[in-house]
Amino acid sequence: MSATVELPTFEPADYKSDLKPVWCAGCGDFGALASLHRAMAKLQLEPWNTVVVSGIGCSSRLPGYVETFGFNGVHGRALTLASGVKIARPELNVIAVGGDGDGIAIGGNHFLHAARRNLDIAYFMMDNEIYGLTKGQAAPTTPAGDKTKSTYWGNPEPSVDPCELAISFGATWVGRGFSGDPKTLVDLMTRAMEHRGFAFLNVVSPCVTWRGDDQFRTIKAKLVALPPDHDASESFY
Amino acid sequence: MPRRDVSIAVVGSGGDGVVTLGDLVAQAAAKEGLHVIKTEAYGPQIRGGESSCAVRLAAHEIAAPADAVDVLVVFRWADFARFRGEIQVGHDALVAYEAAEERPDVAALGLRGDENIHWRPVPFAEASRAATGGTGSKNIVALGMLGELLGLPAETLRGAMERRFSKKPGLAESNGRAFEAGRELAAAAGAFAERRLSYAPSAPRLLMSGNEAVAIGALHAGCRFFAGYPITPSSEILHFLAEWMPRAGGSVLQTEDELAAIGAVIGGSFAGVKSMTATSGPGLSLMTEMLGLASMAEVPVVIVNVQRGGPSTGNPTKSEQSDLLQCLYGTHGDAPRVVLACSDVEDAFHATVDAFNISEEFQVPVLLLSDQAVGQRKETVSPGSFEHEVRERLAPTAEELEDYERYRDTASGVSPMSVPGMKKGMYQTNGLEHDTEGRPDSLYLTHETMNAKRYRKMWPIRDRYHSFRRFGPDTADVGILCWGSSMGPVQEAVAAANARGERVAAFVPRMLYPFPKRDFEAFVSGVGQLLIIELSYTAQYYKYLRTFLDLPPGRTHVLKRSGGKDLTAGEVADGIERTRALPAREAVAV
Repeated sequence: MSATVELPTFEPADYKSDLKPVWCAGCGDFGALASLHRAMAKLQLEPWNTVVVSGIGCSSRLPGYVETFGFNGVHGRALTLASGVKIARPELNVIAVGGDGDGIAIGGNHFLHAARRNLDIAYFMMDNEIYGLTKGQAAPTTPAGDKTKSTYWGNPEPSVDPCELAISFGATWVGRGFSGDPKTLVDLMTRAMEHRGFAFLNVVSPCVTWRGDDQFRTIKAKLVALPPDHDASESFY
Repeated sequence: MPRRDVSIAVVGSGGDGVVTLGDLVAQAAAKEGLHVIKTEAYGPQIRGGESSCAVRLAAHEIAAPADAVDVLVVFRWADFARFRGEIQVGHDALVAYEAAEERPDVAALGLRGDENIHWRPVPFAEASRAATGGTGSKNIVALGMLGELLGLPAETLRGAMERRFSKKPGLAESNGRAFEAGRELAAAAGAFAERRLSYAPSAPRLLMSGNEAVAIGALHAGCRFFAGYPITPSSEILHFLAEWMPRAGGSVLQTEDELAAIGAVIGGSFAGVKSMTATSGPGLSLMTEMLGLASMAEVPVVIVNVQRGGPSTGNPTKSEQSDLLQCLYGTHGDAPRVVLACSDVEDAFHATVDAFNISEEFQVPVLLLSDQAVGQRKETVSPGSFEHEVRERLAPTAEELEDYERYRDTASGVSPMSVPGMKKGMYQTNGLEHDTEGRPDSLYLTHETMNAKRYRKMWPIRDRYHSFRRFGPDTADVGILCWGSSMGPVQEAVAAANARGERVAAFVPRMLYPFPKRDFEAFVSGVGQLLIIELSYTAQYYKYLRTFLDLPPGRTHVLKRSGGKDLTAGEVADGIERTRALPAREAVAV
C-alpha cells in the first residue's frame, strides 16, 4: 500500500482577512477567531462557498476578519439572515456568529426557531456575560447580583445558560468551549461545522475590559471536560 | 328589461357558505366571459361571525365594485346589521331574505327608503332541509335561485360546483338537489326575469385576487425564495406560494415573526436568489428595522404591504390607505427605497414584476403597496395580460473581479454585485456605514460619499419606471389625484362625468417614490381645479404631494376619510360636484 500525502489547499492564514480587529487587547474573541481560522482549514472550506453572518456587538465584527463572504447584519438578526442564505443556497457553508446579548436577548426568538428548524447552520455564540460594545451593561448571561453599568445595586435578574436553552430548543448539536483553550475549541468548532443540522457552540470568551482581567484565570479553574462517554440524551430530562 | 351590469350581495353568518356562494357565481360568470369583481367583508371572528360578499357581473369592462347592489340575499338580518352603512341597495333592487326571519324596520337596517325595494321572503333553510336533510346547503339553494335570476346557464354553475367540491364527491348529489330546489324557487317567484343579464358568451376569463396576482408576478419575475409570517389581509400570498414556489424550484419559509421574514429574504437575496416577503401594517412596522439594512447594504428585496386599517391592530379585515408615509419614510436614517402602488388585480401582477426589476437592477429595497380592497378582491383578467419584461441584477465581469470592490462608487450608483460561489468576489457587507469594499468606516467623508452613491440610483429608477394611469381629456376642469385601490371608483366616476359632458381627468401613479415630478406637474398644469382623494383620515397623500408639488392655492380640494369601507364612484362623483361648485379656496386637511 503506497502512502499518499494530501497537502491541504488552505492554511489557517488563508482564512484571515487583512482587516485589524477592533477588539481590546486581551479580548477572548481573538482566541475564538484564531480557532475558527484553524477549524475552517481543518475542514478545507472553500472560502468563496462559505458565508459568515453576524448581528451586532463586539464579537459580531468577526465576519470582517474572515476571508469568506460575510454579512455583518443588525442586532439580534444574524440567524434570520443565515437562514435565508442557507435556504436559498443549501450548498453553501453557513456560519452564524454573535454575542450572548445578540443571541439570547434581542435575538432570542430567532435562536429558538433556528434550532427548531434544524437548518444546517453552525452557530458560534461568543459569551462574555456582558454588553461590551455599549460599554458594560448587564446581559441575560450576567450572574445575578453582579454590579455592572446598568445594575448599580447588583443584577436583580437570574442568568440563563445558553447551552440549556439550545438543548431545550431542540438543537441537534450543542457544545461549550473556552477561547482560552484553543486546542479543544478548534476541535469543537470543527465538529459543529461538520454536523449536518443546527449546531450550537457556546464559546466562553472573556471580556477583560468590563468583566475584569482575572476572567481567564477563574474560568480556567472551573473548566471541566465532559467525559468521552457522556450521553447527551441524559443531560436534562 | 335585460341589463348589462348586475351586482349581487350575500350576507350571513360565517358557516352559511356566503363566500362560497359568491365564488361560485363569480367563477361561473368568468367562465361565460363576463367581467367580474368580487369583494368580501368579514367581522374579525374566525368562525361564525358575520360574513358578506358582493359580486358585480358585467358584459363590459368594469373598474370597481358597484356602489349599490341590484340583488341582496340575506340569510340573517342580525349579520346584515353588523355591516350597517357598508352595503347599499340600488333603485328597484330585489331583497331575497330568509323567510324564517322577520324583516326588521328598514331604517334600522341603514338602508335608504324602501319604496323601490322589492322584498321577497325566500325559504332558503326549509328548501335546503327538504332537499338535503339539513340547512347547510342554503347557499347552494340560493345559487340555484340566483342563476335563474341572472340568466347564468345551469350547466356552467354546475361545472363551477363540481370544481369547487372536487375533493368532497360525497356532496355532489345533495348539492345537486339543493341547486334544483333553488331553481324551482326562482321559477315559482316568476317576475325575477327582469334582473337577467344580457351578454354574448365569450372566451373564459381568469378570475384571481390581487394577492394571487402578486404571487404570480413574483414567480414570473424569477422570485425563488419567499419568507413571510401570517397576517391578514396578505396571507393568501404565502398560501399561494407555499403551493407553487416549490413547483417552480424555489423555497418558502414561514418565519417566527416579520423580523425574521425580512431577515431571511435579505439573506436569500445576498446569496443570489430573488427574494420577497409580504405583510400588512403591523408586520411592516417590525420590518422597518431591516428595511434600513437592505437599503444600507444595497441588497435587493421586495416587500409587499397589503394595507389594512391602522394604527396598531386596527381593522385587520378592512382596507385603508394609511401606511403611505410609513412606507415612504419608515426606518431611521436616510434610507433610500422605492415605493410602488398597485391599483387593481392586473396591475398587482405588473407592479410586482416592476418591483423585482427595479430592486434587482438597482440593488434597492422596493415596497409594493397593495391593500385589502385589491389584495382580497377577485377580478377577471384576460389571460394574455400577464406579459412583462424581466430584468436581472448586475453581476461583476471577469475583469471587474480581478480588482473587485462591492461598493465601487460608479457614475450610476449601481455597483456590480457578486454572489457566494464567485471565487474573486468575496466581500463582507454591512449595516454599518462602509467603504467601497464594504469595510466599516465612520469617516464623515465616506458617509457623505456613500449616501450620495445610494441616492444617485433614484433618478434613473424614476426615469425608467415612472408608469402611471391617466383618465379623461388632456385638459380638464377638474383633475383628480389618487393612488392605489382608489383608482377603480375614480375611473368609473371620471368616465360617467365625461359622458355627461363634464371635463374631468384623473392621474394615478404606480411609482410613488422616487417622485415622478414631471408627470405630476404635466397633469396639474392641464387641469383647473384639483381634487385629491384618499382613504386616510389625516390625508397622507395630500401631505406627501405638497412636499414635491406646488398645488395651486385656492384650486385644490381634498376628499379624504378613514378606510373601513371601500371608496365608491358615488363618493367620487359627489367630490367632483363639490369641487366644481365650491368657490375656489385653500385646501383644508386635518
